[in-house]
Amino acid sequence: MPRDHAADILDPIAKEVVNNVGVWVDKEVVPVASEFEHADEFPEPLVNGMAEMGLFAIKIPEQYGGLDLSFECYAGVCIELARGWMSLAGVLNTHVLVAWAINAYGTEEQKENYLRRMVEPEIRAALSITEPDAGSDAQAIKTQARRDGDDYLISGQKMWVTNGQRAGVYLVLTKTEMDTTPPHKGISAFLVDAGTEGFTVGRKLEKLGYKGVETTELSFENARVPALNILGGSEGSGFQHVMSALEVGRINVASRGVGVAQAAFEDSIHYAQQRTAFGKPIAQHQAQQLRLAEMATKIRAARLLTFDAARKKDAGQRTDLDAGMAKLYATEVAQEVVLEAMRIHGGVGYSNELPLERYYRDAPVMVIAEGTSDIQKLVIARNLLREYQI
Amino acid sequence: MSINIIVCAKQVMDPETPSSAFSVDSDIKQVTPVQGIPPVVNGFCENAVEAALQIREAAGGGTVTVLSVGNEFVMDVMKKPLSMGADSMILIQDQLCENLDALGTVNVLSAAITRAGEFDLILCGQQASDWDNAHVPLGLSETLGIPCLTEAKNIEIGDDSVTVNSSRTDGYEVFEANLPALITVNNEIGEPRYPTLRGIMQASRKTPEILSLSDLGLSEDQMAPAMALSDLYIPVSEAQCEIIEGEDDADSGRLLALKLREAKII
Ligand SMILES: Cc1cc2nc3c(=O)[nH]c(=O)nc-3n(C[C@H](O)[C@H](O)[C@H](O)COP(=O)(O)OP(=O)(O)OC[C@H]3O[C@@H](n4cnc5c(N)ncnc54)[C@H](O)[C@@H]3O)c2cc1C
Repeated sequence: MPRDHAADILDPIAKEVVNNVGVWVDKEVVPVASEFEHADEFPEPLVNGMAEMGLFAIKIPEQYGGLDLSFECYAGVCIELARGWMSLAGVLNTHVLVAWAINAYGTEEQKENYLRRMVEPEIRAALSITEPDAGSDAQAIKTQARRDGDDYLISGQKMWVTNGQRAGVYLVLTKTEMDTTPPHKGISAFLVDAGTEGFTVGRKLEKLGYKGVETTELSFENARVPALNILGGSEGSGFQHVMSALEVGRINVASRGVGVAQAAFEDSIHYAQQRTAFGKPIAQHQAQQLRLAEMATKIRAARLLTFDAARKKDAGQRTDLDAGMAKLYATEVAQEVVLEAMRIHGGVGYSNELPLERYYRDAPVMVIAEGTSDIQKLVIARNLLREYQI
Repeated sequence: MSINIIVCAKQVMDPETPSSAFSVDSDIKQVTPVQGIPPVVNGFCENAVEAALQIREAAGGGTVTVLSVGNEFVMDVMKKPLSMGADSMILIQDQLCENLDALGTVNVLSAAITRAGEFDLILCGQQASDWDNAHVPLGLSETLGIPCLTEAKNIEIGDDSVTVNSSRTDGYEVFEANLPALITVNNEIGEPRYPTLRGIMQASRKTPEILSLSDLGLSEDQMAPAMALSDLYIPVSEAQCEIIEGEDDADSGRLLALKLREAKII
């Protein structure tokens, strides 16, 4: 039975948007996703389709030509995209969170200059925090930006930059002061344009899953960037700006977890009614029913946590705790559900003719990127200890 | 140039409803609605909306008004043509429209079209996926006294005239007619566009005009069916399997051939 793509969404416009994206995913993405994925090919026609629908403008304010839809809507869209192919929600992720950061913290010139071009999008955006020697501990970055007249000269090495080859602008975390205490006081985020002299996009990293969308290295050798391109215009707030933008990223990744788990579950419940063993469909064996029930319950809980975090963000509330919980739970659920789905499918689930092996390879990145599950737990615990302080 | 187009669109049961969920009530001769599966806008009617939008865009101006008759509209479903870009929507919603036959539907549509005012073109889906009758467009053009061009795969608007390529099994025929005219389309006219997020937001600010039969000055007896449905049932299909065993493969083949000849299949 077809399910309601927009279940649990309250905002009526979001409901309609998500339903339409769901239909698009069923018709345009599901039939071709594995082919693009196996070839590790950038899904140009699908990304163009996303752009035509207006998905890249979803969180850009109307005053800059965007649509300014809710985070609830954004979460629903990302769930649907990931239900078809997780990578598509990844193409959107850094763009939306950088646009959000520019709008939240950028100067008026930065908003005018970048946001308008990010609507269509004429340029796409990438986010670059991670370095070879700094991941979870983002304050340990070494990329340095030194003042030189009206400019800064950026030098350093970045890793794991999703959308690295096709972005027109990169939000890059740097140190403008090396020895501050705490270290984040010396961190500033720069908007770096593609093609800036001294800035090169390095090799595309080969990955287990999350294919089609490229993840690259970046290197900076005295790359000259105007001081006007510090996000917000002044030094020292980059860490806070980027961490806050990561809440948007965590809503995206939580949604991806829900979407991938939903796809694995739907494939499983259909297959379980078709495949027979010991004289009856495997869905009639109670052990499989228990498995399906657990999968569905966890997915629903993950879905509700994700929409809850999104709605809190819509209400302008602080959401590091909620986005952290949603991201932690939804991505761990995705990981569990794809394995359960593989058990239900038996041998055929291991074949690369079914999309299940893709979900299985796509799930792990979600428990790592945008803050590992351990880091989410630290964020959650920090909030709880503050809340329950004695 | 500016062109005013009316698209007739029908809300139907989702044709993707799994057959296991489909049932009919033979006593009241009706299809039983399936819980949990919302209806959809008939596929060919969506093609008609797409054609209308393309014609309006090519003309550089005009209006696309979507018109529908029914007894219980699901607004989330019927909004789709507006989200695709239609300018306005008129819904004739009345309990008396529950079991309209083609003639009754034609009477309601023509009254609504006359009330709506001047138009250049009426576009309809070639047939609706619920009953696949394809009666209404023909009856409507007859009642309105305008030419009817069917199964258009291409529509070209000229000064006061329209040229249509009509699909045929072995190719297509080219027809020309004066405007106003009624044209039916199927999927060959082109895939309906996906509503954009902007289109959805704009449509959310539009409210369909909802009319009853009395608003159109129509009475209950004008809705009386001209045709009676005498029986409604799901045909039972039976399949039997016979395993043919011979002494070896060649013998099995020979026995199979004999069976097929007995059954007059070969
Ligand atoms: C496919 C992919 C795409 C990515 N895209 C981007 C991107 O676009 N931009 C970007 O900036 N980064 C990106 N990343 C990087 C990603 O955010 C980091 O990989 C992630 O934050 C983890 O950092 P790390 O790999 O250095 O692991 P580490 O930080 O070295 O962690 C290794 C292990 O130690 C644990 N650990 C670390 N600190 C603690 C602690 N305090 N307590 C307990 N356990 C701890 C971690 O949970 C993990 O289990 C991407 C990564 C991948 C794999």
